[in-house]
Amino acid sequence: MSLVKNVTPAAEAVVAPTRRQRAALASPRRAPSRWISTAALVLIGVAFLVPLAWILLSAFDPAATVGIKIPEDATFDNFSSVFTVDQTLRPLWNSTVISLGTAVITVAVSVLAAYPLSRYQMRFRRSFLYGILFATCLPITAMMVPVYSLFVYLNLLDSVPGTIFFMAATSLPMAIWMTKNFMDSVPISLEEAAWVDGASAMRALVRIVLPLMRPGIAVVFIFVFTMAWGNFFVPFVLLYSPEHQPAAVAIFNFFGTYGSVAYGKLAAFSILYATPVLVLYLLVQKLSGGSFAMAGAVKG
Amino acid sequence: MRGKPALGILGVVALTALAGCSDDGSSSGDDASGGATTVKVAYQKTTAFHQLDDMLQKAKTEFEAAHKGITIDLQPIEAEQDQYFTKLALMNGSDKTAPDVIYEDTFQIRSDAAAGYLLPIDEYLGKWEDWGQFYENAKQAGLGDDGKTYGVSMGTDTRALFYNKDIFAKAGLPADWQPKSWDDVLAAARAVKEKVPDVTPLNVYAGKAAGEATTMQGFEMLLYGTADTLYDTDQSKWVVGSQGFKDSLGFLETIYKDKLAPPLDQALDASIGSRVSTELLPQGKLAIALDGSWLPGGWISGENAWPEWDKTMGFAKMPTQNGDAPGATSMSGGWTLAVGSHAKNPQAAFDFITTALNKENTFKYDTENSQIAVRKDVAEDPAYTAYNPSFEFFSSLVDVTHFRPATPDYSQISSNIQVAAEAMATGQQSPEDAAKAYDTAVKGIVGDDKTTTG
Amino acid sequence: MVDVALKPRAGRGRGTTTRPRARRGFGRKVLPLVPAVALLIVFLAGPIGYSLYGSLTNTALTGYKAANPDFIGFDNYTELFASPDFWKSVWLTVLFVGASAVIGQNVLGMLLALVSRSAAKPLRAVVGGLVVTAWVLPEIVAAFALYAFFSTDGTLNAVLGWFGIDETTWLISFPMFAVIVANIWRGTAFSMLVYNAALAEVPPEISEAAEIDGAGPVQRFFRITLPMIRRSISTNLMLTTLQTLGVFTLIWVMTGGGPGTNSSTLPVLAYQEAFKFSQVGYGTAIATVTLAVGAIFSIVYIKALKPEVD
Repeated sequence: MSLVKNVTPAAEAVVAPTRRQRAALASPRRAPSRWISTAALVLIGVAFLVPLAWILLSAFDPAATVGIKIPEDATFDNFSSVFTVDQTLRPLWNSTVISLGTAVITVAVSVLAAYPLSRYQMRFRRSFLYGILFATCLPITAMMVPVYSLFVYLNLLDSVPGTIFFMAATSLPMAIWMTKNFMDSVPISLEEAAWVDGASAMRALVRIVLPLMRPGIAVVFIFVFTMAWGNFFVPFVLLYSPEHQPAAVAIFNFFGTYGSVAYGKLAAFSILYATPVLVLYLLVQKLSGGSFAMAGAVKG
Repeated sequence: MRGKPALGILGVVALTALAGCSDDGSSSGDDASGGATTVKVAYQKTTAFHQLDDMLQKAKTEFEAAHKGITIDLQPIEAEQDQYFTKLALMNGSDKTAPDVIYEDTFQIRSDAAAGYLLPIDEYLGKWEDWGQFYENAKQAGLGDDGKTYGVSMGTDTRALFYNKDIFAKAGLPADWQPKSWDDVLAAARAVKEKVPDVTPLNVYAGKAAGEATTMQGFEMLLYGTADTLYDTDQSKWVVGSQGFKDSLGFLETIYKDKLAPPLDQALDASIGSRVSTELLPQGKLAIALDGSWLPGGWISGENAWPEWDKTMGFAKMPTQNGDAPGATSMSGGWTLAVGSHAKNPQAAFDFITTALNKENTFKYDTENSQIAVRKDVAEDPAYTAYNPSFEFFSSLVDVTHFRPATPDYSQISSNIQVAAEAMATGQQSPEDAAKAYDTAVKGIVGDDKTTTG
Repeated sequence: MVDVALKPRAGRGRGTTTRPRARRGFGRKVLPLVPAVALLIVFLAGPIGYSLYGSLTNTALTGYKAANPDFIGFDNYTELFASPDFWKSVWLTVLFVGASAVIGQNVLGMLLALVSRSAAKPLRAVVGGLVVTAWVLPEIVAAFALYAFFSTDGTLNAVLGWFGIDETTWLISFPMFAVIVANIWRGTAFSMLVYNAALAEVPPEISEAAEIDGAGPVQRFFRITLPMIRRSISTNLMLTTLQTLGVFTLIWVMTGGGPGTNSSTLPVLAYQEAFKFSQVGYGTAIATVTLAVGAIFSIVYIKALKPEVD
């Protein structure tokens, strides 16, 4: 799982032993324990499947209720009726803008910050990194009340850029941490050659380090994007006008005003809203390749 | 060379985003260039409550045609009432997001005026010829603590018991039912429970999520029928520790404990109000509802039309606790349109209100949403009284009706009434304990010296 | 995906090359940090500072105190610590974090990681995929799915009905049970992935040697595997605890904190006090307390595990 683990081509040396270990572990087990494992897995799998299946089945059921059932006549009616500008398209577009903005800013700022942290000896480096680690752990969602007050003070309520900057700031500690670790895995010798040629640090960063850690940057980017995409509480408190609200808030409003009667549409909306991040997750799997421990869970 | 432009792009994005931070306010207020003005209107809209949206859409078209260069930006807040208040309060927190025209409940006016969210409009009203058409009590409803006017009344309402005659027939209850006391109400509910078991006998709101409906349609309809009251107007003090308060909670406790009221997953949900009017009553799943005079509006026309409502539903006055004079009770509230204190162009905002609440649009709204008209020219229009057969009954309740305490603290105290009511529904507290918790909360809000023992 | 230092001591591609001494120190070392520091100060330190200050005022959302709040010192905290609702909320938060994160997600995550290793590959892939999907879904969608699942007419009651068990109003009668199960459903993937990775690092030779010595699978797990991955366990416990402490959306959608205050954990209570009861100052005090709890956990974690930062 460790995202901090090296995923760049340069890191093959570290990755290889892990693969060997995995191969060794895949050795056959004795039958009874295998049978018990299978039963346990099936049971857990069903428990995880049911709520997911409810969303999927209800979305195609014009007469969906809170109970799970196979639709009598499956249609796309739910999708076509929520697929309007006001209902889904604009909120999804807003989600895209907010998540992309957050991810771009976070990644850009993290890369800049990670470079000196990864490459130079600095007096405050250790304490800075501990500070980052500390900030990573704070339960930021618990403090939306003071955040609201701060936004009143800064006159940033209902401002999409304000929301983006706040979300970027909250994902920064994690992103800096991850980026720095990815950057650490890029051998410094390549830059040293560039320095000798008289290239500036920024030039070395852009021309040598970044291309080598592209998969890592993609992972951080998608990670931040996904967090922003799924965030409900922050835009719920900070964004008010319908033309600014992302899908997370729009779907909550929908649930509040139509939820008790229109479960099918709610499910269809949920699918439209959830699909992009599910696709992105698969992309992370692909990008980080076999060395990415998470892959084990999905690819088996 | 591959990396350089990439970093450049990142930098540009970051810079534009930073710059965007400062000029994002253009969505509200006026735009200096060309004198174009936008008036932002914040109001509530739900599946069960679309009449206001209909009326404002119409007013927008008319207003924009008459006032070139002014755009009406309608911003419906799609939420049940309690969430609506929260969202509105959050928007009012900052002058940039504060709406120019606000759909404001009369009980919120004093509180929001005190908070500085609303603009006094006396000076504009003085020049509006229609203002003379408004009844005196409707003008009163728009007053702030400082005696200035902050809202133009759209209509008022009363509350009473709705009952389903078909279910009553099955339960052996009369078609012209008029209970004389709380016990009579309970007896009818018990008869329904016994004879028509698959129907919910009685709904009295008691959930926090239902918000002001729990306070006003629920608790206050009970309390104001006891010997006690919520607020002593003569002393300007809140009443604590009264027997009537405990008895009212006791009534709620009884109906929820004895399963005369809806199951809790319905009762405590924010959508209970919508469900009562669009599902439970029309589908014959609820026998008696203590609710507001606006309900028939949704049955006469619109998405949730229910043509048979007039034949099926009966109306009865809510009796006082033991039948003491005047025998019945009701509560009246109502909503206004108000101008936000940060409106960049208050004249335009006020002018929009005069369009939205002119005779024609008031007529449209008051009929479609079953409001008791507060404009003389609407109330006396024969087409108005003919529109809805329930008007006569609900207007007659004006003789016995009460108004909520007009103080800025009311909205916070109302929230604490909801807490006590929900404790009855869930059975988490006894009426005595809940009343005690309420007393403590009230003292915390207004201070010991502003309370009196009932 | 919140993963900080699960492998704090993982190997690096870079050797022990000393970092170059900067030629122009400030421009190279400090300048690139400026955007990050600026953002963190305004939008992270800002709210924290505001939280400390706001909790000392009686700011309200409406009424006179909205226009002119007073500085009231520690009155909010005095009131808070004397309020039974607050202590109830603290208890519910402890229950929620303890049952759903510390026990639920960790045990189930470990179980999944363990049994996956001896199960058939396709089954492992399918179940793993389902568990991860629940985690990748936006929180609010997960909340809807579980709201429906626990509703009175929902799937859970329907399934129990097959066994002749009567309907239960889960969200009303057992709201904490419902939100705890929901959070386990939603968050287990994280622990599972962490433990998958951790178990993969345990050299199989050690376990095999113990097996030859006659140790049973349970013994082997507790005597050998567990001690070897204890670092991953404590890190994971810490991270899931802190994530769960801040959970709002799941509870808000499923129960709204109710009935009454029966599922109002601290973040929900703070929201309600501030935005429903208009007591922004008081709500801010609750947020500050929650933040302090998080900060303490965070410091304990850093002190105890000393994650390597360079």
